[in-house]
Amino acid sequence: MRRRPGISGLQGAVAARDQYRSLGDNVAKVRQDLMKEQLETFRHQLEEFASKHKNDITKNPAFRAQFHTMCAKCGVDPLASNKGFWAELLGIGDFYYELGVQIVDICLATRPRNGGLIDIEELRSSLSKRRRSVLITEDDCLRAIGKLKKLGGGYEVFSVGRRKLVRSVPMELNRDHNLILQIAQPRGHVTVEEVERELSWRSGRAIDALENLLKEGLAMIDDGDPDGKRHYWFPCVGPSELETESGGNM
Amino acid sequence: MGEFSFPYFYNYPPYFTLQPMKDTRDKQIQLWKELILKYCKHHKLFLIDLEEEFALFENTSIQRKLTFEAREQFLSALIADGRAEWLDKNHRKCLILWRRIEDWADSLLNFVRENGIELMTLEEIISGDETYGTELAGLDRGVLVRAVKILEQRGKAAMFKGSSTDDDGVKFSPN
Repeated sequence: MRRRPGISGLQGAVAARDQYRSLGDNVAKVRQDLMKEQLETFRHQLEEFASKHKNDITKNPAFRAQFHTMCAKCGVDPLASNKGFWAELLGIGDFYYELGVQIVDICLATRPRNGGLIDIEELRSSLSKRRRSVLITEDDCLRAIGKLKKLGGGYEVFSVGRRKLVRSVPMELNRDHNLILQIAQPRGHVTVEEVERELSWRSGRAIDALENLLKEGLAMIDDGDPDGKRHYWFPCVGPSELETESGGNM
Repeated sequence: MGEFSFPYFYNYPPYFTLQPMKDTRDKQIQLWKELILKYCKHHKLFLIDLEEEFALFENTSIQRKLTFEAREQFLSALIADGRAEWLDKNHRKCLILWRRIEDWADSLLNFVRENGIELMTLEEIISGDETYGTELAGLDRGVLVRAVKILEQRGKAAMFKGSSTDDDGVKFSPN
């Protein structure tokens, strides 16, 4: 714009600026309205989708996982709030809330036996057993535990070898402990000698770590093995025919 | 009598070694206490002798056997709960009370009431035709005598001596 001299020139410039501003405001408003409308549509469609597939979402684990992926791509977290429209519509907040409660329950119930460390697969199958009609996946467990973590109860998932363990009591598990659990995994137990051999440790280190695991309540000793050696057993790992607790019949 | 089904821990070897950590050991003792009571109830056993083999204390399928110390601890824990008693000074013979004496007294009283019985020898109660198939059949004599004594205190029964111990009997006045 060419600037004209004089008062009228200045006035003209002010008027033009006002016009631009109001035009700009208009454009912004139109855009905002459009965005609002789009969001509304999106939300509406998600709601429709969610209510249409509510059953699938709560009953079918594969569908549930896909739904989560889709939500993640849109930047929506259906678990973010229990009061949000997700919870009202789907009860999906409730789904994980309930799962979380059951996880705490199972962890507490098995704690005397496993010292507060449980294989996620064992956790998953006990959960599935409790909810006969609904299949629970590892992904569901991880999500529910993620929620529990925020409550600060010390719930945490960590890997030992190829398996995942859920820890329900705060404890110091260092690298040595983790390595021992890894060695113990295939059979569920180890001896001091096996640890030393597998990890090329001097004997003091193996005994220290094993005694610590014993103190944490994660290990039990077995002095009755025919080989005459003390075996350290880990209820949280190893083949778990222990899952099925058969009641005495009387 | 069906097959006795063992709990999960019975096949987990470390439960046959007395655990050094207190929390773990407490849990272990608790599980064994329950198992001993259930097992004895199922097989109607009243006596465990630490000097003798007792099938429950050895699991041949996993080649594990409770040590003397472990067995003694489990039985002592039952005694502390009032669910067992040493029968001798040396603490070798242990009476297992999978039902309390008072409960035996009650079921004996119910039995004579229902069947209108006024007189029975101890032998008849333990192995006679009348009690055959009831929970009273196979009852330990010592337990029975104590149950009867409880009924005596309640004025529901009176023990009498026979010409031999086989003839010792009870006169009931259930009502």
